[in-house]
Amino acid sequence: MSVPASRLQVDRRQLPNGLKVNLHRDPSLPLVAINLWYHVGSKNERPGRTGFAHLFEHMLFQGSQHIDTNGHFQSVQQVGGIVNGSTWYDRTNYYETLPASHLGLGLWLESDRMGFLLPAMTPEKLENQRNVVMNERRQRIDNRPYGIAHERLHELLYPADHPYHWPVIGYMEDIAAATMEDVQSFFRTYYAPNNAVLTLAGDFESESAFRQIEDYFGPIASAPLPDPPRPTLAPMTGERRDEIADEILLSRVYIAFHAPAYGHRLWYAADLLTTALTGGKSSPLYQDLVYRREIAQDISMSLLPTELSSMLYVVATCKPGVSPAILEEAILEHLAEAATRVIPAEHLERARNQVLNSFYRNLQALDRRADAMSEFTVYFDDPEGVNDEARSYLDLSPQDLLDYASKYWLPKQKAVVTFVPKNGESSP
Amino acid sequence: MSPTSLTVDRSQAPPPGRDRPFRFPTFHRRTLGPDLELFVAQIPRVPLVRLDLFTPAGGHFDPRDQPGLAASMADMLDEGNHAKTAPQIAAATERLGGSISTGAGWNSTFASASMLSRDLEHGAELLAEIVRTATFPVEELERQRQKRLADLLQQRNDPRSLAGKRFSRVVFDGTPYGSPLGGTEKSLRTVSQPALVDFYDRYFPTGGSRIVAVGDLDPEEITDLAGTLFGDFFHGPRPELPSFEVQPLEATEVHIVDRPGAAQTELLLGHAGICRRHPDFASILVMNSLLGGKFTSRINLNLRERHGYTYGAYSQFMGRLGPGPFTISTAVGTEVTAAAVREIFVEIRRIQQERVTEEELAHTKSYLRGIFAQQLQTVDDLAFRLGTLAVYDLPDDYFDQYFRRIEETDRQQVLTLAQEYLHPDRMAIIAVGPAVELMHQLKDLGSVRVWSSEDD
Repeated sequence: MSVPASRLQVDRRQLPNGLKVNLHRDPSLPLVAINLWYHVGSKNERPGRTGFAHLFEHMLFQGSQHIDTNGHFQSVQQVGGIVNGSTWYDRTNYYETLPASHLGLGLWLESDRMGFLLPAMTPEKLENQRNVVMNERRQRIDNRPYGIAHERLHELLYPADHPYHWPVIGYMEDIAAATMEDVQSFFRTYYAPNNAVLTLAGDFESESAFRQIEDYFGPIASAPLPDPPRPTLAPMTGERRDEIADEILLSRVYIAFHAPAYGHRLWYAADLLTTALTGGKSSPLYQDLVYRREIAQDISMSLLPTELSSMLYVVATCKPGVSPAILEEAILEHLAEAATRVIPAEHLERARNQVLNSFYRNLQALDRRADAMSEFTVYFDDPEGVNDEARSYLDLSPQDLLDYASKYWLPKQKAVVTFVPKNGESSP
Repeated sequence: MSPTSLTVDRSQAPPPGRDRPFRFPTFHRRTLGPDLELFVAQIPRVPLVRLDLFTPAGGHFDPRDQPGLAASMADMLDEGNHAKTAPQIAAATERLGGSISTGAGWNSTFASASMLSRDLEHGAELLAEIVRTATFPVEELERQRQKRLADLLQQRNDPRSLAGKRFSRVVFDGTPYGSPLGGTEKSLRTVSQPALVDFYDRYFPTGGSRIVAVGDLDPEEITDLAGTLFGDFFHGPRPELPSFEVQPLEATEVHIVDRPGAAQTELLLGHAGICRRHPDFASILVMNSLLGGKFTSRINLNLRERHGYTYGAYSQFMGRLGPGPFTISTAVGTEVTAAAVREIFVEIRRIQQERVTEEELAHTKSYLRGIFAQQLQTVDDLAFRLGTLAVYDLPDDYFDQYFRRIEETDRQQVLTLAQEYLHPDRMAIIAVGPAVELMHQLKDLGSVRVWSSEDD
């Protein structure tokens, strides 16, 4: 199996203040994607102040010294661009895709909030965005069937003092408690050029683009960075589980295990294994549990790409009348088999082809490429590594998959969350 | 860490560089048979291809007593045929890393295949096998019936599904759009194999079908291949579209779907809108975008940024072959539900009473132009646009016309269109949340009716 040779090229630079810059030219469309990663996320928070990294991301759209409130959305949308940001355990990203002629606009906007945020921050804006974020939490989690699942899995799989224990969006009372002092100190601590990566992807001229980057970002001073969190993670000594009575009619089972940090060989092995076991209607778990025995309505497995260690989890919804205990047991039998015997060649072959397909799919749009290049710079200091990710999967042997499963899928080292209907069992 | 020098002028955005115009990608339209056409576009940048096949057999043909028939038929296309069982069909595409999907919309039934370009021929042949020789096996139909019934159970606790279902019932009552595209519990329990076969025979292998092929492919080769695989299959006249009229509500109505203890209230407001082929579609899009179609729209800035009522609020005209819905959707804290609805009405009446500013209009046009280019970066993006031409029978230069229409839209036209196509006095207001609180809040906005999440 081959991965074609047309590699995405990256011209790497760095400003004296520490800002890393990736320039990826592709003039095939008259667009430019700008992407900034700050190496700060919910893992830099502390208990009692959870959700702050995300709330802070919202505040970065409330203007800065030279930009009006909502100026980012306004000035990008009015020239035909898109703009947004997102927060994750390990990082916060900000991005816009613009008509190529408006590259300067994006650099002006991003540099202003990196260097000149605080003069524009007011208690009124914070109050408004606290309300927006509380509604976001209600919409994404509290008012959605099974919405609390991921939060519970993280709480069970990671001990209370581990930074992956709490949810990225934070707990409601913590969001409500965020103060202006939090805004100021978070900005001063983490939003420095030496804690960021800037990637441009698309139609631009490298030297003039870099000069503009120097003009806008060069004068922003670097800052001493705190040591990154390096929590230890002792092996679990027993399974941890919870049963949640929710406003639902079909029960559901979540089973989570640990996995190595994103980038490790066994992380890729774990990810390929999820595709081999549940990737599509011909996968063995779908065939057995959904198709043949009809005890599951659906089944999937996912692996988070996180920096300290990762969570792998299985989600399966019960058919009406099927108890979660039955489905859980059936899933665990499959996992136990995958942890003791190499996976059949046909499933590995399928999973490899599926990975290759999504690899190409994901690198089509400029914004996705730019984001991947920022990611590979923050985690691995290697933006062109995006080209080799398919290879990281294709080079794995069946034994690698078995190595992951046999080492990590241990009965005492998992978290289980089951959802059951609040008003008793549903009728078949 | 205050910056040390200020050599660059930060007081305003730098002037833009030279504009490089965007052009819609080149594509070709080829005739494969009487009223059978292929749209083909070559994108050699990535080794991927996608094939989409559309036939007129959409949900608009569902019999009144059998909603969901098109969807059931479409779902069953890849569940067994002359050559393969359901698991064999799944394995045949998945082993190459590709995927096949089938389904029904209101306007058409589709069957799609995505794969690496090296596997194009295999994928095309499999697609042909699926649509040409489907057998609708009884045991697979039973399996599908159980799956869909369980889906319906899940939707009963999903606020957005509940709102959408109730909205269609209220606004499109008495038309095919009034029933769920996927069917009801009652219709799913009675759908039979002969009914599926009959629907398929009548509406599937007919004239009016279209194929879209996009990606790293050779236009001549795919034309030959598609001609061989499908040229003789789609034949005869295209079925006549069902004709129906949507009766507007006589006055604004409030429909509450009760979810006691819900953390939030899901809101869906609106009425019937326009057909996708409406001559003013592009100008109405400009009006809607300014009102509620983008982050910086009046409605979102009001509800989210001014009042903090919601994470987001958006409006939309969805075009179909028949008149599709106009909707405004948001999710708000229950205690501010009535206040949020009132602000939405304020914005609707404002755009009907005052001409929008020249600046807002210019920004909106520029936004619509720009995002169009952004939404054409991938194989799937382009296939979607060509699929729009195919399904709605639009001319080859449609997107050039579309840009021209956007450009030509002026302030007076926005005002006139807002007056003509927004009907705040005849709105359906659907609120999914705790009825006890909502009834009290919403009673002044119109007649109130309360539904349970189990009501059909």
